[in-house]
Amino acid sequence: MLEQTGFVEVQIGPGWDTFGGARGEDNARAFEVYGYPFLARRSG
Amino acid sequence: MTEMLVDPSVLREQVREKYREVATDPGATFHFHTGRSLATRLGYPDAVVEALPDAAVESFAGVGNPFVLRTLQTGERVVDVGSGSGFDSVVAAGQVGPDGRVIGVDMTKEMLDKARLTAAQLGLEQVEFRAGLAEELPVPDSWADVVISNGVINLCADKAAVFAEIRRVLRPGGRLQFADIANGRPVPVEAMRDVDLWTG
Repeated sequence: MLEQTGFVEVQIGPGWDTFGGARGEDNARAFEVYGYPFLARRSG
Repeated sequence: MTEMLVDPSVLREQVREKYREVATDPGATFHFHTGRSLATRLGYPDAVVEALPDAAVESFAGVGNPFVLRTLQTGERVVDVGSGSGFDSVVAAGQVGPDGRVIGVDMTKEMLDKARLTAAQLGLEQVEFRAGLAEELPVPDSWADVVISNGVINLCADKAAVFAEIRRVLRPGGRLQFADIANGRPVPVEAMRDVDLWTG
């Protein structure tokens, strides 16, 4: 989606266990939900 | 055109209600972590977090750290989309210094009030907070060198519209650095259409 909206050089960093130990942990585990850092540059 | 899985206005009101609670009752239990321990968990430097007053950190509810892949440069102009209580905007202000600018945008009044108070208490004149939506940022075209965000875009119904709006406010060649959640297993469509599940 980033590339479709005019961004290039998209990078994704390592994930964090964002919900581990929180009330939302079970749902996060069920769908393998993690937090990630993203970096991209606006084209043009 | 992007298919809307939920009504954007209904989702927006639920998100606003959830984060109003995070702003006014930060000690409550949510389905996500909050506050100083979360910031430490996400790798923000101890020296940065410990130097801030409780009010600047207690309502932080990010899902990652938008500064790990790139540190902001002195003098850069930054927009923080969904700035919440202002934690990432304050961190950004420290990185860009007094010659930079940071505009935090949020739709929840209680979060904006808290962020403005923190910036004033810390004497951060390079930071301001504006009321607005991620899909309609109150920022001129090509104003920003960098756009940051943390755990906000996943809460927007029309993500393509948000990215297009971020592109509008970025100068050509400007950077988007953000943190957000992603799922490794597909979520059933019926669950994605349940607006209550979007905010926990």
